[in-house]
Amino acid sequence: MPRIGNSLLRKAHALDPFLPALLAPCRDIHAAQNELRWLRQHVDRVAKARRARGDTLAKGSLLRQLVSERASGKPLQYILGTEYFGDLEIRCRSGVLIPRQDTAASVTNLVRLLRDAQKLPPELRLLDLCTGTGCVPLLFRHELYTARDDVDLHILGVDVSPKALKLAHYNMQRAHRSMPRGKMRLIRADVVLNPFADQDGDALPLKVALNHSGLPPFWDILVSNPPYISPSNYWTTTTRSVRGYEPKLALVPPSIASQSDTEQGDLFYPRLLEIARDVEAKIVLLEVADLDQAQRVAQRAHNLSIFDGIEIWRERPDINTQAPAGVDNVSIIGEGNARSVLCWRGAGAAWLGKATASAGRDDALRLFRSYGHLPHGDASQAGTSPMEPQFDWPTTPPSEQDLPMAFHNARIARRSRDRFRERLSRRGTGLWTDHPYPEDYYFIRTSFGLQKRRRKP
Amino acid sequence: MSILPRLRLLPSHASTPFNILRAFTTTPPLPAKSLPPRPTLHDADLIEKFLHGSGPGGQKINKTSSAVQLKHIPTGIVVKYQDTRSRTVNRKMARKILQEKIEEMELGEGARTRIKQREVSGKKRSAEKKRRRKYRKLGEVEGEREREEGIEYGGGELDGINEVEGAKEVESVGDGAKKEGEK
Repeated sequence: MPRIGNSLLRKAHALDPFLPALLAPCRDIHAAQNELRWLRQHVDRVAKARRARGDTLAKGSLLRQLVSERASGKPLQYILGTEYFGDLEIRCRSGVLIPRQDTAASVTNLVRLLRDAQKLPPELRLLDLCTGTGCVPLLFRHELYTARDDVDLHILGVDVSPKALKLAHYNMQRAHRSMPRGKMRLIRADVVLNPFADQDGDALPLKVALNHSGLPPFWDILVSNPPYISPSNYWTTTTRSVRGYEPKLALVPPSIASQSDTEQGDLFYPRLLEIARDVEAKIVLLEVADLDQAQRVAQRAHNLSIFDGIEIWRERPDINTQAPAGVDNVSIIGEGNARSVLCWRGAGAAWLGKATASAGRDDALRLFRSYGHLPHGDASQAGTSPMEPQFDWPTTPPSEQDLPMAFHNARIARRSRDRFRERLSRRGTGLWTDHPYPEDYYFIRTSFGLQKRRRKP
Repeated sequence: MSILPRLRLLPSHASTPFNILRAFTTTPPLPAKSLPPRPTLHDADLIEKFLHGSGPGGQKINKTSSAVQLKHIPTGIVVKYQDTRSRTVNRKMARKILQEKIEEMELGEGARTRIKQREVSGKKRSAEKKRRRKYRKLGEVEGEREREEGIEYGGGELDGINEVEGAKEVESVGDGAKKEGEK
């Protein structure tokens, strides 16, 4: 980074003695002046609040301290404690990613499309994975409620970090106080955790966490701003203030052995798309780093073959400069860097006002096929009733050695299948029994025979 | 109190409870002279830019600047606004300023900014006049009183001085006399 010239420093000092220090993070005298003004306003507010409590505050020393913190690179949003996200003022705390303006642009554009929809369901369910401060669902809610009265929004925010959840809870409470409508929940879950792996961490996989909290398994819209920076990009493309002060957990996906740099950067997307399929999301909006990653994600979504349409949105998707549809009919919309990938299926097309929609039955069949239950082909050949719930039975006979354990496991699976069916039949009545998931038990062979184990952390 | 109707006499933007004025009469106040309507801005005529450095965005950088630059294509006026941290507020303010500039260009002295400016400066001028009148009057009264006091004072202590005009001079003369006395 080039040094700041002496003449500029002198000029800044002539304007205000605090300015030269702020030039280091801002690089620009106007930006530094703005930041200094905001810091002064913040100090005035703090002093006023202290005075109201009957306390006193030395304004000069506080300002000096804040300016020196900012000069060392600490983000202004952490110093002031808030960041504007669309129309909302979101509380920020160190340890949780600061909301970005680009994310707000994507969310606003999504709601702009949704609010003109002819018929939205009376209860719209929004699932936000890796919620952080909770900014994305809160802005979605704010924008939708200011435009429409006929929709009730149910929001679920999921994050793995307890710090983030605490902050999101605070932000949600504040939002609910200013506009008491709809429902908001937060749960702690790990999105990338494989539900069938042995667990030793303290966060549950998403599916299990949903089940444990008694939350519905199906969600209409899935949005996510997951960590998406690969380790090499983390060291080369992020700014110093991001590296030094923002949590790496929210920026770089966890590393897994035998995995390339790009694969690690994209780690969340396959899992998010799988979740989108499992919760039967009709609209999916995922934030990405750049055009290359956007195209990789779009390709993955296309390969899943459940979506009716896929779009890549740039930083300003509201500007209608549509590039010609590239590979796999994925059109790129807007101006700036590529920022998010939008996928829709079934009723989602009508909600977004898109032309490409498939019939309800086709959509359901495609969704069903993507689990690998049915061979790809004509639906009529696939069996008498392809829409019935199916379970993974051992199709090949187990070997001699595995017979007893496989026998027990099959028995357990059969029993849980019956319970699951019973639950399905009760779904309409709203009676939900809280029993373990079908896959929750397994057997192992020990020295004293078979032992039943519960698959739980 | 409850019999009297309560009237809100403020424009709609000032809706905090501290700003409610209650009238003694039910006669509504005369409305202020209406200002010319704001010119409407069409989105198609505007080029809006969010100014931030080039390079990667998203999670990779955290920007504090949310500056907005608006260009009005028909007139070529460019407005930049970056005073607040909220991009939404910056956009609104930039639009407002652009409207005002277009109006000034179209209407000249009849534009609402000029009218408001004239009103403010007129009020300021009359307040200044009032202030000057008041102090002149006060000054006359004080002067008379002090002249009387001064004469008494001078007559009592300093025999040699006959014409003393203001209190200041009396004091300075008195000080000088004291110092002389000390010496």
